[in-house]
Amino acid sequence: MVATTPDHRPADDTAPSPAPAGDHDGVAADARQRSLLLRALPARRLGLRARVTLVFALGALLLSALLAGITFAVVRTNLLAQRESTALNQAYTNAGFVRNRLPADAATLNGILASLRTTGGSNPIIFANGEFTALDPANFGEDSLPPALRAAVLELGPSRMRFRRDGQPLYAVGIPLRSVDAAYFEVVELDDTADTLRTLGLALLGAAAATTAAGAALGWWASRRALRPLADVSQAAEAIARGRLDTRLEGTTDPDLGSLSTSFNDMASALQARIERDGRFASDVSHELRSPLMTMAAAADVLANQRDGLPERARQAVDLVTVEVGRFNGMVEDLLEISRYDAGVVRLQLDEVHLAEFVSQAIGAAGYPQVPIELDAELADAIVVADKRRLARVIANLLDNARKYGGGATAVQLIRGEGTVEIAVEDAGPGVPVEDRDVIFDRFARGGVAGRRGAGEGVGLGLALVAEHVRLHNGHIRVEDRPDGRPGARFVVVLRSGAP
Amino acid sequence: MGTRILTVEDDERIRTAVKLALEDEGWVVDEAGTGEAALENFARTPPDVVLIDIMLPGIDGFEVCRSMRRTSDVPIVMVTARVDTHDVVAGLEAGADDYLTKPFAPKELSARIRALLRRARSLDHPVGATLHFGDLELIPDAGVVKVDGADVHLTKTEFRLLCELASSPGRVFSREVLLERVWGYGYFGDGRLVDVHIRRLRTKIEHDPANPRHVTTVRGLGYKLLP
Repeated sequence: MVATTPDHRPADDTAPSPAPAGDHDGVAADARQRSLLLRALPARRLGLRARVTLVFALGALLLSALLAGITFAVVRTNLLAQRESTALNQAYTNAGFVRNRLPADAATLNGILASLRTTGGSNPIIFANGEFTALDPANFGEDSLPPALRAAVLELGPSRMRFRRDGQPLYAVGIPLRSVDAAYFEVVELDDTADTLRTLGLALLGAAAATTAAGAALGWWASRRALRPLADVSQAAEAIARGRLDTRLEGTTDPDLGSLSTSFNDMASALQARIERDGRFASDVSHELRSPLMTMAAAADVLANQRDGLPERARQAVDLVTVEVGRFNGMVEDLLEISRYDAGVVRLQLDEVHLAEFVSQAIGAAGYPQVPIELDAELADAIVVADKRRLARVIANLLDNARKYGGGATAVQLIRGEGTVEIAVEDAGPGVPVEDRDVIFDRFARGGVAGRRGAGEGVGLGLALVAEHVRLHNGHIRVEDRPDGRPGARFVVVLRSGAP
Repeated sequence: MGTRILTVEDDERIRTAVKLALEDEGWVVDEAGTGEAALENFARTPPDVVLIDIMLPGIDGFEVCRSMRRTSDVPIVMVTARVDTHDVVAGLEAGADDYLTKPFAPKELSARIRALLRRARSLDHPVGATLHFGDLELIPDAGVVKVDGADVHLTKTEFRLLCELASSPGRVFSREVLLERVWGYGYFGDGRLVDVHIRRLRTKIEHDPANPRHVTTVRGLGYKLLP
């Protein structure tokens, strides 16, 4: 048992220590702090898998320690008993031998002692003629016999005793030889038994450690198996969060997990239905808007054709209607596009696109032919796979954005990155403050982003659409300061140079 | 007699506004609110261009388009709700020459109609005689195509497309070039127009459209007509 004691230490350490949360009880102001503490506590607690593993390890440790302890005790008892009985038998044999030689003088006694058959670790001592004669008087002389034993043998009869001398385990047997007025003693060193026991202890310790480790491994494995359905749930939840609303858990025959997957799938279905309903609403509204818009656009066109024949006031009104119908059109198109993203029905129409030519065409088509393109020489013949219409829209919206809030784009740059190409639109405006750089791509971004709301003809959807288009191309967009240190914003679209 | 356009659209207000806008261009406009009325009108007074909204009560726009195609090579413009649904490809496969998505600007519509009229009227090249490509025979000036000596009926757009490819046999034409030359689109035209028309063309002039011998695809580049 001694050998296993150190192993208990980790067990003590893991015993739950009382949380120091209750120190300032009764103070009202501490309530908030305490709730903060309570909220912080679970974060510090071990994870479920770690806890299961720990319990398995502790269980294995406890069990193996118990088994080791019992084994050690039984073996020790048996071993000592065996050793002692051997020693006892030998002592009686030797005592008989000595008795037959006595009486004798001192020299003869030494001869007798030397001729005794003793196994290793047995030290014979003969008491005769009133004095003790030992084979090894320096180490196992008269003094090595406990006085109690001596007294018991000389006065009562055969005795034996187990004792320690300087930490060395010894076993002494004494047999009185009354017929010759003498006694025979034997002191047996039990060191070899102790050695055996120590080896056994070490082996048991090793076995206990191995068992503990195996228990921990089993716990880790079992908890992983047990938690695998949870990992599936977590993956499915992530997929849903990423917009794959039709993600469902596979059916299971396990009755314990069945209810989990059923309720998860029910939740996902409800969520999907709701999101689709919301998305359909925006989409339906936009669709409904298109018919009157169509009529208005055509009618405004007819009016515009008659513009020159109209009185001045009517002409102004016609101009207003024409411009606003155009703006309205842009808004509805943006709303429709974004509701298509929400409904998850956008499919890219991918083509291999000659990047430099494409960007130049896109800049021209957006109505900014004066904006210069700065091109990495190695990108001159670069091909990207992209949805031309949508990527052109990205560039147009960024250019519109630069015109509205940055005094107009100063350059469009094409830069080669690590397996990517970057399209950067720079302006010389006030730039975008660091804290606005993420929210600027949100829909209807306002507040802190006021004055730079996006390019969708004032709807606030322009940059949001840019972000959606780029995301569907497996790329990303960021806004930063101009690298040349001049004031201005730099919108960078990063696309993979391979297929999206 | 002026150019006659048949507008098939179930929303009366849109129809009226479009009619007004097209009449401003100097065209004569016939209206139909249903597919049935459209086919009746089409049979009575053959138009030069047809504009069909896909969403129609009764027989839908696709069916109207297919019916007209059975007897006529008139240029047809489809009006679809969305650009990235199957509607576009389905409309083109039903026989439409071009498409527009709602809401479109009337200016865009008249530009499309003008482009269709232009290519329907003037097939100005190549100059002269009969071109032979194996079993395929093309007489551009006469608008005649023969396979194994038998007349093949192509729509005006298909014919125009074939003539463009035949103007430089063996040369690869990118979709952008074909879009520009045949449809009058700029760089951002829809490549599906070319793809579907090539497919339609193949079903008419190839013995095995799945393994074309005349009009072949050059992956990533475009199409070419084998000399």
